[in-house]
Amino acid sequence: MKKILISDPTLRDGNHAVKQQLTLEQVAAYAASANAAGVPIVEVGHGNGLGASSLQVGMSLLEDGAMLKAARENLTTSKLGIFLIPGFATINKDLRPALDLGVDVVRVASHCTEADTTQRHIGFARECGKEVYGVLMMSHMAQADILLQECRKMESYGAEGVILMDSAGASLPFEVSEKVKSLVDHLNIAVGYHAHNNLGLAVANSIAAAQAGAVILDGTACGFGAGAGNTPLEILVAVLAKYGYNTGIDLYKMLDAADVARAKLVERTPVISSASLVSGLAGVFSAFSTPVERVAREYNVDPRDILFELGRRKAVAGQEDKIVEIADELARKKSRGTPE
Amino acid sequence: MKNSAHQIIEQDCEQVLTGSVEQLGGMRGETLLITGGTGFVGTWITELIAHLNDHYQFGTRVKLLSSQESNSRFMAPHLGVRKDVEFIRQDVRTIADLPVDVTLLIHAAASPDTRLHASDPLRTIRVITQGTDAALAAAARLPRLKRTMNVSSALIYGAQSWEVNAMSETYSGGLLDCSSMLSSYAEAKRVGETLVAAYRNEHRLPIVNIRPFAFIGPYQRLDRPWAINNFMRDGLLGGPIRILGDGETVRSYMYASDMAFWFLRILLDGVAGRSFNVGSPVGIRLKDLAEQIGGCFPVPIPVECRGLIDGKGKRSKMIPDVGVAETLLGLSIKVDLETAIQRTLLWNQKQSGKNE
Repeated sequence: MKKILISDPTLRDGNHAVKQQLTLEQVAAYAASANAAGVPIVEVGHGNGLGASSLQVGMSLLEDGAMLKAARENLTTSKLGIFLIPGFATINKDLRPALDLGVDVVRVASHCTEADTTQRHIGFARECGKEVYGVLMMSHMAQADILLQECRKMESYGAEGVILMDSAGASLPFEVSEKVKSLVDHLNIAVGYHAHNNLGLAVANSIAAAQAGAVILDGTACGFGAGAGNTPLEILVAVLAKYGYNTGIDLYKMLDAADVARAKLVERTPVISSASLVSGLAGVFSAFSTPVERVAREYNVDPRDILFELGRRKAVAGQEDKIVEIADELARKKSRGTPE
Repeated sequence: MKNSAHQIIEQDCEQVLTGSVEQLGGMRGETLLITGGTGFVGTWITELIAHLNDHYQFGTRVKLLSSQESNSRFMAPHLGVRKDVEFIRQDVRTIADLPVDVTLLIHAAASPDTRLHASDPLRTIRVITQGTDAALAAAARLPRLKRTMNVSSALIYGAQSWEVNAMSETYSGGLLDCSSMLSSYAEAKRVGETLVAAYRNEHRLPIVNIRPFAFIGPYQRLDRPWAINNFMRDGLLGGPIRILGDGETVRSYMYASDMAFWFLRILLDGVAGRSFNVGSPVGIRLKDLAEQIGGCFPVPIPVECRGLIDGKGKRSKMIPDVGVAETLLGLSIKVDLETAIQRTLLWNQKQSGKNE
């Protein structure tokens, strides 16, 4: 039976859904239930990773260290993971203290064509003896051959695996298969996939990735995450089992963990709103949905128009300022009566 | 007073020279220039020559040409203060002339670091192709030049077929995808060899070509992205030693003192125009290598296969056939792998002060 390593970013990607306001009690409760279910890796932190708490991308209720400590105390068999984007996170200020708190797994992410930025952080974590993976975000924006070149960089830096992240939930299963297979065929390290559900395809894309040779898949309890949410982990675990994959996760206890998430974390179960669907079609980072809807109300424009324009301009995380710029342009056109 | 880490180097130099000093007799009184001289290869050759000078009165002078010249960046600062060692700060790509007293030249300027090849393929290509052209052009103008060596790479062979035990200098079975930027280093080294042939033809340059395989020893940084380096680093950090894959890939490793001796011997007596493989012909599975390294510690370090969850991995092999060097020059491996590992670990421990 083929094995799949599950990495659960409920307490990291899910933080987007509550505007980075996860509490210590929520972190502790979910970490304990995920640990009990045998989830191999539990990822914790600000939605944009270590060191990202800011006005630009959201101020976190808790400091990174506090979240990690709360999770560490409740993870006895599951590994504690972190996610970081160089630029948000620095080695001395952020990564070193996190490793000192007992982090086991480090994921270092970049935009899908900027893997060079991950060299120092991957190298540092590796030198500290940690399990290190590279992540390519917004992977729908690059062709398979470019993704392979970027993954080869991460492999040379010391990453033990690479994860393609479909940050916008924009991919179709055949695209996932093609890209994952290219990596599996040419890399000497593990390949993983992190899906989002903007087009309702998160589970399908995850299965496509597994069938193409991916051995690492991500999912969050109840799909807890920004916008349309992530791959619902309890569904993924069940479907993988039906397909004959072994995740090592106890299904009943995973369903219990989803119940804990539903009761304690999730204010509302992720739905594919029209904005989320459009962000998937437009290829826009899922976490843009909330600020887009807010700005759209302020400027009295259609959020879907903002999203399509963001997609046309190939906006990526960190370029949230474009939302206001575009909303302003749309509002001006509207007031002039200019056809958009 | 020499520190205990350096005593290891001294012992290694004396061991490799035992019974073989006069095989390097052609170095006496000569002036050797090494491009890329402050790297691993240049440092070890300089150590060996320093030992020959100190203990056997060879009177050889060494000039180390590098874009990173200062003593503080040189791996062995004690060499930088020697009167018989001179630094020349120069980018190999823009060499115009070399010192006129140079009689022997080793062109080794290039980085084998795959991280650099992946991140900066254009610079990788330019340093090798432009650098080789500039170095050989300058060499051709040296009035007293006796011998030159181009340090190529085993990667020019492409992937070794699993059915082939070892690659000889005539191996042509491997394929390189020249349309991929991932081939930047290997393809640039192939161009380098073609430049060597052209300079030999047009300028009658007395040049020999070597194709190094894999080495291990003191002065090699353990953060380099190579299996044996990573295994040692994992071991020194307390483990576990992590193998990416299932450990079935096969490699071979030559100890640094053997490497330095072979380089100099081939420089002096290798037939001009020929290529020589330099490396150990004894292959080992990475899994066995990791276990061997793990067993070198007082409490054996466990080994883990990571990265491929279903236990299967891609395997590859890279082993040199060194029959040409053995037959024509009588070269042999004097330091076995077990000793190489132990010496390297000991040096690293002494460098970090853990085993004084």
